[in-house]
Amino acid sequence: MIGAAKRRLTSPAFAEDAAEEMVASRSFWADAGRRFLRNRMAVVSVGMLGLLILFALFGNLLARWTYEEIDWNLLGRIKEEGGPSLSNGHWFGVDELGRDLYARTVQGTRTSLMVGFVAGPVSVLLGATIGALAGYYGGRFDRTVLGAYTIWLAIPYIIFFVVWQAFFGRSLGQMILVIILVNWTAGLLIVRGQVMMLKNREFVDAARMLGMSDLQILARHLAPNILWVVVIYTSLVIPEVIMAESLVSFLGVGIQEPNTSLGALISAGAATMTFGTLWQLAFPAAVFVIAQVSLFYIGDGLRDALDPKER
Amino acid sequence: MLNYTLRRLLMVIPTLLILVVFAFYLMRLAPGGPFTSERPLPPAVMANVLERYGMDEPLHVQLWTYIRNILCCFDFGPSFAQKDRTVNDVIAQGFPVTLTYGFWSAVFVLLLGIPLGIVAALKHNGFWDYTMTGLAIFSQIFPNFVLAPILVLLFTLSWGLLPGGGWNGGQWQYVVMPAIALGTSYMASVARLTRGSMLEVLGSPYIRTARAKGLPERTVILRHALKPALLPTLTYMGPVFVYMITGSVFVDVFFSTGGIGQDFIDGAYSRDYSILLGLAILYAVLTFALTLMVDLLYAWIDPKVRAGLS
Repeated sequence: MIGAAKRRLTSPAFAEDAAEEMVASRSFWADAGRRFLRNRMAVVSVGMLGLLILFALFGNLLARWTYEEIDWNLLGRIKEEGGPSLSNGHWFGVDELGRDLYARTVQGTRTSLMVGFVAGPVSVLLGATIGALAGYYGGRFDRTVLGAYTIWLAIPYIIFFVVWQAFFGRSLGQMILVIILVNWTAGLLIVRGQVMMLKNREFVDAARMLGMSDLQILARHLAPNILWVVVIYTSLVIPEVIMAESLVSFLGVGIQEPNTSLGALISAGAATMTFGTLWQLAFPAAVFVIAQVSLFYIGDGLRDALDPKER
Repeated sequence: MLNYTLRRLLMVIPTLLILVVFAFYLMRLAPGGPFTSERPLPPAVMANVLERYGMDEPLHVQLWTYIRNILCCFDFGPSFAQKDRTVNDVIAQGFPVTLTYGFWSAVFVLLLGIPLGIVAALKHNGFWDYTMTGLAIFSQIFPNFVLAPILVLLFTLSWGLLPGGGWNGGQWQYVVMPAIALGTSYMASVARLTRGSMLEVLGSPYIRTARAKGLPERTVILRHALKPALLPTLTYMGPVFVYMITGSVFVDVFFSTGGIGQDFIDGAYSRDYSILLGLAILYAVLTFALTLMVDLLYAWIDPKVRAGLS
């Protein structure tokens, strides 16, 4: 689904539509905002995501345990008594080591959302910058960038990811850094296309005649006109990044214990489900699914609201 | 066409070289190695071990030896962490497994995805259409690492129909779940893509002409609409194969199938340079081979592309 959306964004027809739209309308963002608010699923999803962010930020105020504390009372009896319970303060039960799953889920949600909302936008920004420069200057630089882009897309990211994680430690910062490095191609192609389309417009000529430098033109005149493409693309990249982080954590080369992420929690829950401790899988998986569903509908709503062809 | 194939093959060489050099230096310059442990070895022993694996020489000499061994004798060197195995052994043991369920997974993706997309397009806004949209959203939300535990929960723990892991020489019961877990989300994307392009083709004038001529609907669909409608799906298969290779690492780990993904992750844990590098090369070659195959198939089917190439 994301694939289809990306293909539409990179198609020449889209660049055409987009350039027309931007130059034609003045109250573009206001219109888009109104259209977005009319999309009920998208608005509900924003609400859900907001709750999830609150959960990640302030959820541990409700916790009676920290995420690394072991409840020795329950050890050896986790299957019988480790389940979700209001009386002993483990709202989501405990994990296989007797640690409070609620606190761990809060911690995992925090990690996953942080990775998504930091690494996603930053990598799109990086890709967009490279794309804009390539589109604006063209020539040999453009060809080099495109060549590197093609090669990069042909390499499964997991290779780079695993090698990097194995050798450079597994902290949150490293994780974000490696995701940005792996994703440097995000948004590159669309922004390049948009810039190539817009750079021959009269307003750019006018700016150049007024004596603005290339960088000024890019920053003041072209950037505002492609901002919305970047916004749509970012909304597609964030869930992908969260997914990638979770996959890597699932494989055991993600965030280091006792810190955790949704992927690592799902992995741990999946490993113990044969012992009848299903809640260890259910709660993290549910949070993950809620995050993905709401991000999906928000992205969908943004696309509908911003893409001129979708109306 | 031949020219194009050759050019593409030539492109692979510098790409692989970049990958090897990059991965090699990345691993070697990072702190730690396969022989660092909690209790450090005595310096004399360490020196011996390093010499045994040729690691006492300067890095670029090691790199050159490594590349030369691959080129002359197809030798990827010994494993550092597993004393009695070479990288070639690991590949020979694991790769057929990964390839087997990967193949069946691709069959599942295409044989279910394409017909589902076509039916959804033909019954536009009907039951199958909605089912498929539902499936597409479902697969977006349940990626393979959430789907796989759910599958095991249902088919193994609740109903006892299929084994929850292992390989057992590749008996069909052991292949089913890895193939489905690996393929489902791509199956949904393929179906969605096929549906979209089929709808577009069905709305085009030449289909109207075909219908106006009084051709039976079967002929219109199979002879006129199908081939152009499948072209976008075909281009999408390149990226899908790349994603599936990534997914196979997960499947190997989760289902303990004994494929190369497990060795790759183990290699990362034990900092087994040669395993990591060897398998990275294997993954990259596999990706290039599959992408090239898709592109050639595309050129072969689409006359416009073929004309553009020569």
